[in-house]
Amino acid sequence: MLILGIGSPSGDDQAGWLVANALKEMGADSIAGVVVDKLDRPGANLVARFESANHVVLIDAMQSGDAIGTIRRFGQQDWPAYRGGLSSHGFGVLAALVLARELGSLPGRVDLYGIEIAAASPGDPPGEAIRTAVQQLARQIANELFEPPPA
Amino acid sequence: MTEQKRTVAIHVPVLARVEGEGALDLRIEDGDIRQLRLRIFEPPRYFEKFIEGRHYTEIPDMVARICGICPVAYQVTAAQAFEKLFGVELSPWARAMRRVFYCGEWIQSHSLHIHLLAAPDFFGCGNAIELARIAPDEVRRGLHIQGLGNELMDLFGARSVHPVGVRIGGFHGAPSLARIEAMRDKLRAALPEAEALIRWAAAIPMPPDDQAFVSVGMHHPDRYAIETGDIAASDGLLIGAEAYDEHFAEQHELHSTALFSTYHGKPYLVGPLARLNLNRDRLPANVQALLDDVGFELPSRNIFHSLLARAVEILLALQEALRLLDAYEVPDSPWGPVTPRAGIATGCTEAPRGLLWHRYEMDGDGRVVNARIVPPTSQNQGRIEEDLRLSLLNFGLDHPDEALRLHCEKIIRNYDPCISCATHFLCLNVERT
Repeated sequence: MLILGIGSPSGDDQAGWLVANALKEMGADSIAGVVVDKLDRPGANLVARFESANHVVLIDAMQSGDAIGTIRRFGQQDWPAYRGGLSSHGFGVLAALVLARELGSLPGRVDLYGIEIAAASPGDPPGEAIRTAVQQLARQIANELFEPPPA
Repeated sequence: MTEQKRTVAIHVPVLARVEGEGALDLRIEDGDIRQLRLRIFEPPRYFEKFIEGRHYTEIPDMVARICGICPVAYQVTAAQAFEKLFGVELSPWARAMRRVFYCGEWIQSHSLHIHLLAAPDFFGCGNAIELARIAPDEVRRGLHIQGLGNELMDLFGARSVHPVGVRIGGFHGAPSLARIEAMRDKLRAALPEAEALIRWAAAIPMPPDDQAFVSVGMHHPDRYAIETGDIAASDGLLIGAEAYDEHFAEQHELHSTALFSTYHGKPYLVGPLARLNLNRDRLPANVQALLDDVGFELPSRNIFHSLLARAVEILLALQEALRLLDAYEVPDSPWGPVTPRAGIATGCTEAPRGLLWHRYEMDGDGRVVNARIVPPTSQNQGRIEEDLRLSLLNFGLDHPDEALRLHCEKIIRNYDPCISCATHFLCLNVERT
């Protein structure tokens, strides 16, 4: 299982990274078979990361007009609704997922989480408003890791 | 320390990862182009201010964040600038590994651009996903090669989130022999793929285009210039990085917050095609033979050959990385001692997109007094505008705005500027009278 926090060094756009950090603090990557990593504006590089993972969890910041800190989960059937994702130079997470699917290299299961943010200013640290959401999402993901729900 | 927040009068900063960071203002009067202005956002300019007051040890990490796609270029250029000023002599191991590290970035960046950004244009596809439907093997090959570039960068700790690769005087860490051997096997296996990529790229029908421009790039006496060398131009110029300001100028254009670069007052081209125009004879013999075989004549005045030029540089980079990793040994220390000095530090390297030049004024404590970073994208801006003007006149202005916009995007994408990564990045404002 591969857990990827996606972001950029711009303020709240680090939300995905913060979730990855929180998961590591909770011991997620000490579970056998679980890898937690952070990616900076990966664009299409994301597609190559999917190889050899059968379950991928992606966490990214989004701007869709929701209340700041809102967490949304997108299964594969919900991807078209993932319009609020910020894209690295235009080739964002969604494009990478669709490309992977087109090439038949999509992992069996992909979970995409978006955290609603306000602004992402270059060089700024992340703001307080999303820190609560970060902890909440990390706990949510960690709970599933440590006690997977019945199939 | 409080700072004034700069207001930027452009759409959205690239660093905030929002689409549409380029804008083209076109004014057509009576079927003629009265005005053509291209606005490109420049992430490095924000960082010039952030860097002031910082210690030189912090700079590689900071500049690596300027570009998510080319952190290595920024790290290596900065490190070399300081090493030159401080009189630091890199060990043979570190010198070689800097080039290997850089090759990784060329491979990754070029393959991404070819397959996901540029190629779709030439197959009637709106984006890479459509291309993947009609040419899945080629796209898969491209992503595989791109992944190899990433792996090569990762060997030296180039995690883009917390880059720990380069430090002044060498590297933070040295990869183990086992990791290098595994990498070598993968690189070797990719050579036939890279050759096939060149053949595929050479067979793509390109629009005929012929424009006059000066090519500018680095030049080295005995190898294809990537991370070291002097600055050359196709009119015969050959200078060291410290003389850049005597021939190249940046001026502020009113229509853009970007700075406009000129060479002896005129626009010029940097990037893979410029490099090949200047350095064809520095390619390994087998690569030159392959160019002859596919009929790639250089120097070329057709900017659409940039795609093929990138494919050629991928093979070059794979071969160079293999050559330099041959007989690899873990060094006693991956870095050497450094004592800072006051003065002006200048450095340049060839980022995937072209010449990247840094200048730092340093105080006696090793802190940055001020910084100037000239990225390849701003250096190409004048040339892109020139190209757009000529190409649009050729294409004809009597087309719907949408057709004009698509045409302009294709032209711009040849230059692989920082903004071109979006499928529809261009905000076209047309005023017709």
